[in-house]
Amino acid sequence: MTVIIAVLQAVLLVALAPLVSGIARKIRARMHSRTGASVLQDYYDLAKLWHRCEVREGPSGLVSRAMPAVYLGTMALLAAGLPLIMQACPVPLLGDIITILYLMALPRFLFSLASIDSGAAYPSIGGIRELLVGVLVEPSLMLVLFVMALAVGSTNVGVMAEAVGALSAYPAVAVVVAGVACAMACYIEMGKLPFDLAEAEQEIQEGPLAAYSGPSLAMLKLGVSVKQLVVASLFVAIFLPFGAAASLAPADLLLGLVTYLVKLAAVLLVAAVIENSVMRVRYKLLGRYTWFVVGIASLSLVFLVIGI
Amino acid sequence: MLELIVLSLGLSCVTAVASLILGKARAASKTVACVGGMAAAVAGAAGGIMALFGPAVYVSLPGPMPFTDFTLLLNPLAGLLVAVIAVLAFAAWLYGLSYFDEYYDKGIGVIGFFMNLFIASMDLVILVDNAFWFLVFFELMSLTSYVLVIIDQTEKSLRGGFLYLVMAHIGFLMIALSFFTMAVSAGSLEFMDYRTCAFAPATATIAFVLAFFGFGAKAGMVPFHSWLPQAHPAAPSNVSALMSGGMIKIGIFGMLKVCFDLLGATGGQVGWGVLVIVIGAASSVLGVVYALGEHDLKSLLAYHSVENIGIILLGVGTGIYGWAAGLPWVAGIGLLAGLYHLVNHAMFKGLLFLGAGSVLHATGTRNMEVLGGLARLMPWTAACFLVGSLAISAIPPLNGFVSEWFTYQGLIGAAMEGDLFLRIVFAFAVVALAITGALAVTCFVKAFGVTFLAAPRSQAAADAHESSAPMTAAMVLLTIACVALGLGAVAVTPVVNAIGAFLTLAPELPATAGLELVSLGTASVVSPLILAVLMAVVIGACALVRNAANRRAGFKEDPAPWQCGYEPDLSMEVLASTVGANVRAFMGPLYGIRHAVNRAGQAVARLLERALSSPEDAPVSAAPAAAGAGAEGSSRYERDLRHGIAPAEEAPSALSTSVLSAVASVGRWFSRLESGDFRTYIVYIVGALVFFLALIILVR
Repeated sequence: MTVIIAVLQAVLLVALAPLVSGIARKIRARMHSRTGASVLQDYYDLAKLWHRCEVREGPSGLVSRAMPAVYLGTMALLAAGLPLIMQACPVPLLGDIITILYLMALPRFLFSLASIDSGAAYPSIGGIRELLVGVLVEPSLMLVLFVMALAVGSTNVGVMAEAVGALSAYPAVAVVVAGVACAMACYIEMGKLPFDLAEAEQEIQEGPLAAYSGPSLAMLKLGVSVKQLVVASLFVAIFLPFGAAASLAPADLLLGLVTYLVKLAAVLLVAAVIENSVMRVRYKLLGRYTWFVVGIASLSLVFLVIGI
Repeated sequence: MLELIVLSLGLSCVTAVASLILGKARAASKTVACVGGMAAAVAGAAGGIMALFGPAVYVSLPGPMPFTDFTLLLNPLAGLLVAVIAVLAFAAWLYGLSYFDEYYDKGIGVIGFFMNLFIASMDLVILVDNAFWFLVFFELMSLTSYVLVIIDQTEKSLRGGFLYLVMAHIGFLMIALSFFTMAVSAGSLEFMDYRTCAFAPATATIAFVLAFFGFGAKAGMVPFHSWLPQAHPAAPSNVSALMSGGMIKIGIFGMLKVCFDLLGATGGQVGWGVLVIVIGAASSVLGVVYALGEHDLKSLLAYHSVENIGIILLGVGTGIYGWAAGLPWVAGIGLLAGLYHLVNHAMFKGLLFLGAGSVLHATGTRNMEVLGGLARLMPWTAACFLVGSLAISAIPPLNGFVSEWFTYQGLIGAAMEGDLFLRIVFAFAVVALAITGALAVTCFVKAFGVTFLAAPRSQAAADAHESSAPMTAAMVLLTIACVALGLGAVAVTPVVNAIGAFLTLAPELPATAGLELVSLGTASVVSPLILAVLMAVVIGACALVRNAANRRAGFKEDPAPWQCGYEPDLSMEVLASTVGANVRAFMGPLYGIRHAVNRAGQAVARLLERALSSPEDAPVSAAPAAAGAGAEGSSRYERDLRHGIAPAEEAPSALSTSVLSAVASVGRWFSRLESGDFRTYIVYIVGALVFFLALIILVR
């Protein structure tokens, strides 16, 4: 039964990802006082690319060839393992925080490797920057998850969700502060302004895509959209598990699904509004912002240690 | 099973002598050395693996003097180390069958002689159970490996070798003092007497701290790491693999032996665990940060050994803490993590050094800036190196992930049990490990990407050829080991776990259930095997769907990459220094530490020099020469170097600089009496040591 839920979650996130990015573009257009393209535009783009001839360019080889499948596949696997519709992990062995963070490193590894493989300047620099975003964000995320693990007594995300859902995670202030730090870390990881404009090829996340075309590009674009959903869902799963199904009863699951979608929409809406209200900053300044996140994550550790 | 290992030792010694005698007949000498070494390795591996499961074997033969009884102890821990070194040695010899062809002019007989003795001495250090013989074989191990480091006779290798020799003897001295401290209380040099002696807590702490730093110098942990990136890359690549994969593990073995075995009756203290964890965290972060600054493939790998020793120490430290604090689960998972990572690191670091050796063999350079595009020309090497890179970056489901997963679970589980101070220490360790993990990914994207991907950036790289069959076979062997230790984790974990239980004399707590690895204290599970199947299915499905779409729509070839409208140019490719400069932009302070410490160290060194040298001596500075780009540097690299973008070669750290200077000064000071050769100085140390040890025994 839970395996079906896991598969459903993966399919749901992959199917919804273009819609979400379409809505995000629509919101940006509206905030810029433009009409904007249809919210379904990303589906049209993917369908068009899917039927295009693929260009094998430059010196790129097998690594570049394998990367889009690895990227999308790993993200789908991560989506399957998170406790989204129900509070417990549908597949417990995919729900360990260490497994999740290190599984996320695989797409990043190949993504950057493929960017170097292209032999082109923009993709390569984008790839390196993607790695450094990971270097700057991951320690804070790990510290937050460390605090949560100590607060609930397990490194399993499902256990964390259950404890937070039952309001039994102790100490409460530390958990709330950890939630704030986690939200900030996830926001940076999603690749949005002020650091990154995930739709421009001179940027961090889209840069390496410049070397791709046709079905591979479609798969990679989809993968990048799914990644944003997975990262947002990780935050929702741990810190906003309210409403998720506590049992396997169909009514509970349906309610869990609906509340998950509402929570996700709310989180993404907030992210979209923030993204469009800030100005672009230089990439080199990213370090200052991540120090701020490290500071808040450390604060949650302090609260945990002194027990409030 | 001890017989098998003795057979292996005998084979090593016979082969060593035979290869020296055959020295003039180069091909014969090489073949004898390699085949004999492989036979010895097979026997050693069989004996070691049997010892993992069997009861401990203890043999004692009377020696010429009362304190020199030749005692051997083969227990599961020793068996694990012997087996790991034997597997690495087998791969190194197999690789050498073809790789040593390059060394015909450099005395192939000598290489065969010293490499066989080096492996035998490592096994003997692991096996002997008497302080005197332990120190003798420890010294033999350092000297034989020193000869292998300086075999190239270039200025660089001589400098690295000298630094290595000095640091090895600093470590030797501290270990000897530790044994000496215990011998005073135990009244003998037999480890068996240490084992049963209840030391005073202060004595035990002094002995442990001395042993920890002494063995740490051998293991290459911070702050004793500076010799490692200079010495290991200088040796032939398969010897580098043996040193970085095997020899530095003797340091970890020594720490475990002193802490859990020799001081076992006394018991540990929580502070020891904290010390090990803090040093481990510092080693792991600084090791990988400095690795990112390298453009020499083998130096980069050597710095990663510093990093991985740090990760092993995090596990070992958790084990010591749990043991001392009376938390059997924490002790069990900590030791499991540390020992598992020890085995894993031996496999993937061995693999990566062999891969680097193949690159060096095919292109004649280790400078990544002038390589590139090798994946097309050397597909086997590239595939093996990629697996090794993924494994060392702890990407699931490979072996590095399994041991790092246990390390994290141990640290988090220990933090759950700890008080305020300990929670902060463990949080620090977890964050350090997370930073290390993210930086290791960056570093291996750089190492693999810059070396093997994109287009070749020099004629040497464009003319590269795939390695010969023996070299490829050795790499494939270690690749299979990396994959098997990852996917087969449920089979390997109980064996390693039992060694942890054996060391702490605690009942073994389960770490596996069915196909899953479990962490009891943190209520979590993972299964590399199931994960691998799921990843294969999902990723495979994605690839099939994409390929079907490709078949319908077809392909076009375009030889020039899209440069966003600019004219494509090879200089647009990413270099190692590009990555280094980007990391430096964010991690600047960590590199700053090194500069500050180096300056302070040089000041201390000058002070020492002035104090020790007489006025007529010309001042000799131990400060290193500036990095020589030399003939192998590309013009672009040289330009970068001038502009300060490319990383200059590391100066020896403060410690080693001051020590080097002190040694030089002491040497000159002694030169009025003796020849002034530094080797004399070392003979003094060893001689004095044996004299004092004999004195204690005789006085008693």
